[in-house]
Amino acid sequence: MYYPEPISKLIDSFTKLPGIGPKTAVRLAFFVLNMKDDDVLGFANALVNAKRELTHCSICGHITDQDPCSICQDTSRDSSIICVVQDPKDVIAMEKMKEYNGKYHVLHGAISPMDGIGPEDINVPDLLNRLKDEEVEELILATNPNIEGEATAMYISRLVKPSGVRTTRIAHGLPVGGDLEYADEVTLSKALEGRRDL
Amino acid sequence: MHIEQLQLKNYRNYAQLDIRFDDKVNVIIGENAQGKTNMMEAIYVLAFTKSHRTSKEKELIMWDKEYAKIEGRITKRTQTFPLEVVVSTKGKKAKLNHLEQRRLSDYIGALNVVMFAPEDLTLVKGAPRIRRRFIDMELGQIQPRYIYHLAQYQKVLKQRNHLLKQMQRRNSTDMTMLQVLTDQLIEHAATLLERRFIFLEMLREWASPIHRGISRELETLEIKYNSTIEVSEEANKEKIETIYLNKFHEMKDKEIDRGTTLIGPHRDDLVFYVNGKDVQTYGSQGQQRTTALSVKLAEIELIYKEVGEYPILLLDDVLSELDDFRQSHLLNTIQGKVQTFVSTTSVDGINHETLRKAEMFHVESGKIDT
Repeated sequence: MYYPEPISKLIDSFTKLPGIGPKTAVRLAFFVLNMKDDDVLGFANALVNAKRELTHCSICGHITDQDPCSICQDTSRDSSIICVVQDPKDVIAMEKMKEYNGKYHVLHGAISPMDGIGPEDINVPDLLNRLKDEEVEELILATNPNIEGEATAMYISRLVKPSGVRTTRIAHGLPVGGDLEYADEVTLSKALEGRRDL
Repeated sequence: MHIEQLQLKNYRNYAQLDIRFDDKVNVIIGENAQGKTNMMEAIYVLAFTKSHRTSKEKELIMWDKEYAKIEGRITKRTQTFPLEVVVSTKGKKAKLNHLEQRRLSDYIGALNVVMFAPEDLTLVKGAPRIRRRFIDMELGQIQPRYIYHLAQYQKVLKQRNHLLKQMQRRNSTDMTMLQVLTDQLIEHAATLLERRFIFLEMLREWASPIHRGISRELETLEIKYNSTIEVSEEANKEKIETIYLNKFHEMKDKEIDRGTTLIGPHRDDLVFYVNGKDVQTYGSQGQQRTTALSVKLAEIELIYKEVGEYPILLLDDVLSELDDFRQSHLLNTIQGKVQTFVSTTSVDGINHETLRKAEMFHVESGKIDT
């Protein structure tokens, strides 16, 4: 009502983003009005291109601008290990670590019958095909440590076990550099379960 | 432990209240519908962040107000600290020693409360759900970890029931997924059962002598745990897991047929026997009341043993319902060691020294005179 229609539309668009409420949306919209034309154009193009030029890699499901993605194409990487994650953001997190030299498989979610998400709704069939076609020795299950993530990891490991591929689950425990006293008791008991000989 | 001070704001019919309590016995006297039970409920909510009377939290807020606030000052051994529960239309917040606690299991247990109200007769007479809730609440009070396992169990149960429903409608035939969820369920189910068995053993240990005392040595009380699996109460977690695994395997087709989980702690029950007879079916009204009272009094001792301090006892409108012998037995038990809140319409006819020494509060339409 108080705003001319173009601004209203812009405000409405901003509220669709996560973490942006109505007030922040108004602030952002008015900020855009004062930006240089070139910057606004660049911004708009970036938005459109991000969506238009990015697809999911046909092999691993990671977001990419070329198919297959740069990780799947990289022949220096160890293709006998596949790390299974729930989300493209998890791949980025693993890559930042710079320690892992295998390949990935992105599920885009976790199995949750409650939300109507079954194994065929996430990238599981593709993973099974990969195991048939590629020479894979180990599958690292790095889904989230909650009920759905845990169920998904258990499910995949049961499907894969008969084929003789080694399946491993990432460890749960204490964050490095933290203090023991700040850990919650569930994490602490998981850490105790997974203790090792020194 | 005891409550030194209670402050209410916009809580049911209390617009504003600031009141100090005696650390022994406090009697709240008033006509019907003046706010006696509301005061008891407020203390209960301060301990559990939820009401014993309603699951609709909005009812706790005074008509036309935005929020209700309960504050209490608790003394535990040599320590005193504030507790605060705010219920608003947007949700609720619980603060322990000024710090907000996001997880229920971090808050519950700070204040231990045992309540005995007329509706507690349903503990004996009512549906199994009420007895399961009793076990879960009491165990949660003394073992916050139990609440975590219970919550996890309920989450997996929900997932598993959804899958079974899909399988019933032939929308899914994924046996591997069912097996995965069954394994997850069993892990938490076994933990819950193992802890319930230990709790029950302690409850029996206290409830039996108390019951014998109240019934003038005429009755013996036995408590049996009715599980959906056949298992000895001495079984450890691994043993329970194996039994569940076999039973779930056996029940698989039936569960898919019915589209829901048919075994597990969420379907277990307690049975009370007096002189060998099931009280729920064969007991008199008086026997049922005595049984409920014995269990509640046992709880007080149990909390003392586990926590190292007596909980606060809330007796809402029950004193008048007990005969003289039971009344004085009850008052003798709590004498001098348990901070007790008694609500009643009148103290006439109750002639016990515990009450003569008690602090009296008169309630009238949400206001209190001492």
